[in-house]
Order: sequence, then structure tokens, then C-alpha cells
Amino acid sequence: MKTYEDLAGDGGSNIISQVVSQREKLSARLAKIKHKVALMSGKGGVGKSSITANIAACLVDQGYSVGILDADLNGPCIGNLLGVGCEQKLVIDDDGIDPGEGALGIKIMSMDMLLLSPDAPVMWTDDAEATSTWVSTMESTALRELLADTNWGELDYLLIDMPPGSDRMDNIRDLIPELAGVVEITIPSQLSQYIVSKSITKNNRMGVPIIGLIENMATYVCPHCNQEGKLFEGQDAEKLSSQKGINYIGKIPFDTRISRKTDSGSLFYTENKDSVTGKAIASVVDAIIKFIEDKSN
Amino acid sequence: MKFLCIPCDEQMETQMDGIMPTENKNLVMKFKCKKCGHMIAMLTNQFETEFVSKIGVELGGASNVGSRPLSMVGSQLSQAKKELDKGKAEDNLVWTEEAQLRIKKVPFFVRNMAKKTIINFALEKGVTLIDAKLMDEVREKVGM
Repeated sequence: MKTYEDLAGDGGSNIISQVVSQREKLSARLAKIKHKVALMSGKGGVGKSSITANIAACLVDQGYSVGILDADLNGPCIGNLLGVGCEQKLVIDDDGIDPGEGALGIKIMSMDMLLLSPDAPVMWTDDAEATSTWVSTMESTALRELLADTNWGELDYLLIDMPPGSDRMDNIRDLIPELAGVVEITIPSQLSQYIVSKSITKNNRMGVPIIGLIENMATYVCPHCNQEGKLFEGQDAEKLSSQKGINYIGKIPFDTRISRKTDSGSLFYTENKDSVTGKAIASVVDAIIKFIEDKSN
Repeated sequence: MKFLCIPCDEQMETQMDGIMPTENKNLVMKFKCKKCGHMIAMLTNQFETEFVSKIGVELGGASNVGSRPLSMVGSQLSQAKKELDKGKAEDNLVWTEEAQLRIKKVPFFVRNMAKKTIINFALEKGVTLIDAKLMDEVREKVGM
């Protein structure tokens, strides 16, 4: 009797070739993007999206073309920061879907753009009896589609705004093997560093390059006298980075303005480059660029 | 997954007209031995059906439905914009609202094949209107 290997194909579905074709499409799309950088944290609420948006603004300021993939499928919010939401008209043709164009011409793709209304949640079914067994599989597929089906065009940088936690990194590593690296973000609190430490360990064990650690909300800048003060009690995040053997690429003060669009619809960095926070963001961006340049040399 | 006709030692082929998903997400697929003509049906439960639907591949081979941008997201996302669910006009037949609703409930990875089965049936019958009654007839005809 014939064995599995003796039978060519699978009787007509060609599942393997469909999967290969999906991969080829993804590779072709990503080949036009020079550097892919993921920004993540094991912990939620550390300011990943605000930092990502302002790093993008700083890169644009330096003359780079930038896109952002909102990989936080269930809590998409970076589009809101960049002025791109569900009101964005979708332009879809056979080749793909056009990304939204946010502040400073930053290209963005987010689940938020695909939903009917601003308060529509990301729900994969309305059927109360549907199973949740395969949600994770479906989210992996959704992430691949968002990456592969978006007409990113040629970009210098694609920033990936990750959801809280480190589980999505398994997908990203699989989908983007050429990932330049990961930027880990923590706040000074002991709790945040405890979780981020696990995330760093995981990335190290998976062989994901870590560009470095950002300490966000490291200090508080007084809006009146521009003096910095300590905001959280906790171990110095610089110590965590040295314990883990990764670069400490900077501390960014807590600044209430960083997550707001400016009056002109731009991003905080663009109009506050010379502020303490603006300079801290620029310093982080310099460290990211240096890491990537060193890696490619 | 592959199916082998043991008496003929031949691989069985997926039958395009034998895929008939039902609204409760059970799936039926027919396979036929090209040598002796023997047919079998593979019946999947909701869990198995859902798994295939979520990896973005199509049973019976890739079609222009599955290769559309964001095909899985567009078909599975509960509150997705309508633009995501637009397909190419594949025929001039008129689908009643109820028939459209029913075909939309079919998982995307077999939707195109289910549509083809219905369209072929309608053309054979010489009707231009596809309604729920005709869909029931198709289901009865394919024996599922």
C-alpha cells in the first residue's frame, strides 16, 4: 500500500503550496522595507505606543520614511495618536490594501482602520456558541495578513508596536526572520522590571536581537521650572540591562504631552525637539540607528 | 491530510461539487478515486472546521476569494467595514438577501467552492435567481 510520501499533493487542496505562496507574498512585501524594529514590553501601560509614535516622528525628522504596524490586535491605539482611525476610507485592490497616512506622512496599518466605528471592539465572531480554541491561530493569521497585504511601498523603517506581553513575539519572529531587533520598554517600578526581565530572557533564549532597554517615565519634568524629579521607586533600570547583558539606550521622562497630538495635528517630538523629553527621544533613536548600522557592518 | 483508495492503491481527489458546509460549521468534503470511482465523505466537526478557517488556506485549492487582501480578517472580523468583504462579480445571477446572508455564513475558505456549486446548479436548471429554496435543493442534490 502506498504511504503518505508516495502520494503527490493532497488530493487537490494544495495546502502546502498555499502556505508557501503566503510566505512568498510576505517576503516580497517586506523586501522593500530596509529595517524592521519591534517595540515591546512584558508589561502593559509603560507607554509603548506613545514612544513608538515619537520615535517614528524623530526618524521622519531625520529624513527617513517610516511605517508603523499596530500589532496590538485587540487594543489598537497608535492610529489614534497618528490621526488614523476607522473613518479612514479603505483602498483595496488585487495587490493589497493601502496603509493609512498619519501625522508627518507616517504610514500605518491597524485593526482600528478596519472596524465599523470608533467604539467597535475587535471581535472574531458574534456567535455566542463559537469556540475560542483557535483565537490564537486566527490572530497569527491576522498579523500575517496585516503585514503581507498592506501596500507599504519602500520604507526605511517599519516599527512594530507590540501588545503587552511577550507572546506575540513568537509570531513576529516567525513572520519577520530578518527583524533588525527589539526595543524593550520598562518603567522604573519593580513590578514592571520584574515582568520585562522575563521578556528579555525570552528574547535572548529565542535568539531575537535586543537593541536595548528604554526606561520610560524615568523622571517627572516640572512644566514650570523644567526640573526633573523621581516618579517611581525601584531599582535602576540601567542595572537590569547590565544584568541581562543588553544595552541601556536611554531614559525618557514622564511627560503628559507625549501621548497627545499637538494643536497642529503633529506629534510631540516634532514640536518639542529641544525639550528634555524631546532630547531623550532623539538620543534613543540615535542608539537604535547605531545598533542597526553596527549590526550591518 | 491525504486519502488513499486501498483496493486501487490510488490517491483520492477532492470533489469540487461535494463541499457543502452547513451553517452550524460542520463541514462535508467528498473524495473520489479516479480509478474505480469509489467516493467517500470526510465529515469534520466545528473545531476542525474552525481550525482550517483560521490559518488562511482554502480546501479544494486556492481561489480568488482566498487570495484577496485581508481575506481572513475580512471574513472573520465581526464588526469589519463592508469594503473588506467585497468580492469580484463572478456571475450575473441575482442572489436574494437571504441567500446572500446564508452564503456569507459559509467559512471563507470553502465559500467560493460552495458558491460555484450553487451557481452551476442554477445554470444547469436555467434559473437566474438564487434563493434559500434553491440552496436547499443544492444541498439535497449533493447528498449532504
